[in-house]
Amino acid sequence: MADGPAPIHDIEFTLNGDSVSRTVSSRMLLVHFLRDELGLRGPKIGCDTGHCGACTVNYDGKVIKSCMALAVQADGATIDTVESLAGESGDLDELQESFREHHGLQCGYCTSGVLMSAKFLLDRNPNPSAEEIREAIHGNLCRCTGYVNIVKAISAVAHGDSGLALIERLNREHATEVDA
Amino acid sequence: MLLAPVEYYRPDTIDEALEALQTDGARPLAGGQSLISILKLRATTVDLLVDISRLDDLRSISVADDGSVTIGAGVTYDEMAMSPDLHHAYPGLSTIAAHTVDAQVRNRGTFGGNLCHNDPINNFPPFVVAVDAVMHATGANGSRDIPAGEFFTGYFTNALTDDELLTSVTLPPLNGRSIGYQEIEIGEAAARAVAIVAMSNGSIESASVALGCLPIPVRRPAVESALAGADSTPEAVAEATAAAGDGIEPVSDADASADYRRAMAPVVAKRAVLEAIQGGHHG
Ligand SMILES: Cc1cc2nc3c(=O)[nH]c(=O)nc-3n(C[C@H](O)[C@H](O)[C@H](O)COP(=O)(O)OP(=O)(O)OC[C@H]3O[C@@H](n4cnc5c(N)ncnc54)[C@H](O)[C@@H]3O)c2cc1C
Ligand code: FES
Ligand code: FES
Repeated sequence: MADGPAPIHDIEFTLNGDSVSRTVSSRMLLVHFLRDELGLRGPKIGCDTGHCGACTVNYDGKVIKSCMALAVQADGATIDTVESLAGESGDLDELQESFREHHGLQCGYCTSGVLMSAKFLLDRNPNPSAEEIREAIHGNLCRCTGYVNIVKAISAVAHGDSGLALIERLNREHATEVDA
Repeated sequence: MLLAPVEYYRPDTIDEALEALQTDGARPLAGGQSLISILKLRATTVDLLVDISRLDDLRSISVADDGSVTIGAGVTYDEMAMSPDLHHAYPGLSTIAAHTVDAQVRNRGTFGGNLCHNDPINNFPPFVVAVDAVMHATGANGSRDIPAGEFFTGYFTNALTDDELLTSVTLPPLNGRSIGYQEIEIGEAAARAVAIVAMSNGSIESASVALGCLPIPVRRPAVESALAGADSTPEAVAEATAAAGDGIEPVSDADASADYRRAMAPVVAKRAVLEAIQGGHHG
């Protein structure tokens, strides 16, 4: 790029239900824009290479990795971050509540991304199998939980199961998959 | 990571995109799932990103009466996976799309971007070569069709000129043939084969076999002739695909050596043909 002023663009989009207008540099990544310019610290930067999913947000109804999109591409879009899940008063939504209940997180670094992927799954498929849940969070790496409790937490929201019944059903499903 | 300064433009039509691509240093930006990584690494210099990701003209899937399918270059893997038309006309391809990378990359990565980028790990280059697809390109000097077998020219390169766009890809009718798609993953895909098989009276009538994970995906004509008329037994297929790795030149890298990848070529080729014989790729 030739020397000169860095290219900038005016953008307007909907973020967590509110309309936002800003001027952004065309080289800025969406994740930096959300975190550093708009102060939303939900989306995390884990790898910055498109692998870990900690930066996952919903863009026009579908989850994307916000480190793999440019802020200018938000123009005209509807974006939801994990901050959109809890109610105005800070009440957790049922998915967040289920993660707490089922210990679906430890350090929490992956959690905002995992929650967004889980919500995308449940919006599309309210009745997912354990295998479909695992596939839905394939792009979200968690170094702490071993995923078992994440799958339980998501499954509990979908199926209203709890405790032993849930674990037994998951184990049965897994055993059938292994046999198959 | 901070990208080098770059200009950004989002055209509303293909013509506007083509005009912008006349600028020195301009580059199409589709799903960005490879290009943004490259820009982060500053592995290439781009002055102007021409964002084609929202061009409606690149985003349809249509099935013709004869069963051929035309997929717009801007169609995402998720849109491929969710398309009932594609599922009906090319079931194996919609399954491949449904399992490509992960939900986030599927929501953004495009069929055209995947083919143009031609990373050896990419899923679709060997697929279009196996089915003899036709690639439709448009540039300032008009439109042209490129056979899939001539589209890939080496690592990360293709037959398009800098000011051309891939607009869509036409897959010929399957006419009852089945698709096999098999890979061996070590970190990323280390060996991959696609087989398109027609059966007749329980034996193989004809087969096309292509290998991926190579700088240029290749067909295996000797394997294809050995398969034509062969029995559909695992032994017969193993024999016919035994030479699938002959003469290929895969990379050696941290995931797998070239020798290993060459040795795995007959393995994935055999599995892909057997999968096709058993009814095709279901994930
Ligand atoms: C973590 C991760 C893992 C991945 N693993 C895999 C994998 O296992 N298998 C796989 O297949 N892919 C994989 N990918 C790559 C992904 O599929 C990319 O989406 C794909 O390589 C490029 O498609 P895109 O639409 O994102 O294109 P972009 O990244 O936007 O563009 C790629 C290149 O193609 C050019 N281009 C794009 N569209 C056109 C067009 N219509 N005409 C002319 N030129 C064009 C661009 O200028 C650029 O040079 C992975 C990506 C990530 C982030
Ligand atoms: S920070 Fe975006 S995928 Fe890891
Ligand atoms: S809870 Fe620590 S990375 Fe997932």
